[in-house]
Amino acid sequence: MLQCWRALTLFLLVSAASVFAASSLSFENSAIVRTVDLGGSLVHVTTTFAAKALEPKASAYTITLPEDEIQRTSWLEVKIKGQQQPLTVKYGGAPADGKFYNLDVQLPNPVEVDSTVNIVLETIQTHATYPWPERAAQQDEQSLKYNTTLFVLSPYKTNVQRTKVKSPSPEVRSYTTPKDVDAFTLESPVTKSGATITYGPYNNLPVSATNEWVTKNQQLIGIHYKYDYPVLELTQVKRVAEISHWGANLNIQDDIVLYNAGPELKGHFSRLEHQTQSFYKRAAAHVIPALSLHLPAGIHDVYYYDLVGNVSTSRLRAAPSVPKNSRSNQYSVMELRPRYPLLGGWNYTFTLGWDSPLADSASYDASTGKYIVQVPIMTDVPGSVVNECEVKIILPEGATDVEHVLPFPAVSTEESTHITYLDTLGRPVITFKYKNLTTKHAKPIYVSYKVPSSAHLRKPVAVATALLGLFVFGMFARRVDLTLHKKTA
Amino acid sequence: MADYEAIKALHHSLPPFQPVVNVGLLPYIAFLLLALTFVLAFYFSTLPKSTSTIPTKEVPVALVASVLGGFGVVAMFCTVGVYV
Repeated sequence: MLQCWRALTLFLLVSAASVFAASSLSFENSAIVRTVDLGGSLVHVTTTFAAKALEPKASAYTITLPEDEIQRTSWLEVKIKGQQQPLTVKYGGAPADGKFYNLDVQLPNPVEVDSTVNIVLETIQTHATYPWPERAAQQDEQSLKYNTTLFVLSPYKTNVQRTKVKSPSPEVRSYTTPKDVDAFTLESPVTKSGATITYGPYNNLPVSATNEWVTKNQQLIGIHYKYDYPVLELTQVKRVAEISHWGANLNIQDDIVLYNAGPELKGHFSRLEHQTQSFYKRAAAHVIPALSLHLPAGIHDVYYYDLVGNVSTSRLRAAPSVPKNSRSNQYSVMELRPRYPLLGGWNYTFTLGWDSPLADSASYDASTGKYIVQVPIMTDVPGSVVNECEVKIILPEGATDVEHVLPFPAVSTEESTHITYLDTLGRPVITFKYKNLTTKHAKPIYVSYKVPSSAHLRKPVAVATALLGLFVFGMFARRVDLTLHKKTA
Repeated sequence: MADYEAIKALHHSLPPFQPVVNVGLLPYIAFLLLALTFVLAFYFSTLPKSTSTIPTKEVPVALVASVLGGFGVVAMFCTVGVYV
């Protein structure tokens, strides 16, 4: 229960442990459509509930998710179809200690009786697919398997529901055919057309969020599909952002452990086979020779090294600096080519860092004397998941009134002191830790702080004191007589 | 969430950060200040040892040289890429 709770706090906007008794009379689902977009490390699940209100002034809708689905979900958002503003979601407790959890959604306007509102639940699941076969030779293809439950649970009655599973390529190796669903459909329970497999339509489901209904009717379905892109996991990312007021510079350094989560290599790695593949451009999907990253615009002095030393097989195409207010989508492209291609199950650890002008990320409020700086949480590697992320923000020496605003809650926050060049007091540091981050989590953290001018002058004064010490030593030293005197016998 | 949107909007509306001294000038400031420090230190080494207990010339020269050297070293650190 506690483990689930930690997974929930990552993405819930407001988490209150109050238990609302979900009234099964307030809504009826006229249709539920769940679309599963299969990927490599990430699976995008969109569920649309067409809910008809049965009670007047119904303002809260309850969504029930099974326990294993919640544990795999790392990003969740609920919206009314067609609107941009996400709705407030509260954790509604676990009904009758079943293996599912309720999420209560606050609707912006109360719904009138017999009118329908379309609620869209968008989630991203991580670590939901696994390679099958688990081991593959260098030239073999890469296939993944994904398992999920057949029926979408709901604490209300459902008229019709269907699940559409979209595979990235039309080559689906196999998919399960559900059994014993005659109570809900008389036609074929599953159909495949192109790259889409449709489970449904299933009609007239009663209140399904109960243990007895689940044990009687719920089944697992699995899809085994070919996947032609690399399955990347960033096992650990440690980001350090250092702010300098004297140099007007923001330095960001990432220590990244890259892991290829595709099928493990069976047999030896043959360099000859690898060269043949790249010559004839027949690269297998689970061999990753290079990586392309989108870094912010306006960066300079990029460094990329690993344990052995500097890695020269890299190229930066920098975009010119953009002011912080601009909405332009400019980015610099950094092409990294590690020392060896990453085969399935292999790791690669490296450090990547850059400097960028502080004016692109920081602003100054003259009325309160506060500086606000925005630090991005992660560099988005498309289609990959970051298992563990740590973001350390090092503020200038003597920063006071430090406040931070996070786009989503962190697993832990810590404050400490960091000492580096020319420091006397040490610099305040805030460390945030996150788990299971995806593309939707690539947002900035805002930190505000004040630096009085006396703190700003601390560094030159410290160096001046050291130099003065040298001069004073010099003054004493020249008055000491070290010449050898002849001893008169 | 409203908190986040509020600070995001505030950050966008405020003027960007401006350092006390223009960063482009820092290499030249570093060179000038360190050259002056070197000259003053050299002059300090040539001063005669004063007979009275208070060294009337050595102390002010040392003070000026230290202050100039302090700012010069900070500017030099920023010039070479160690943004302190």
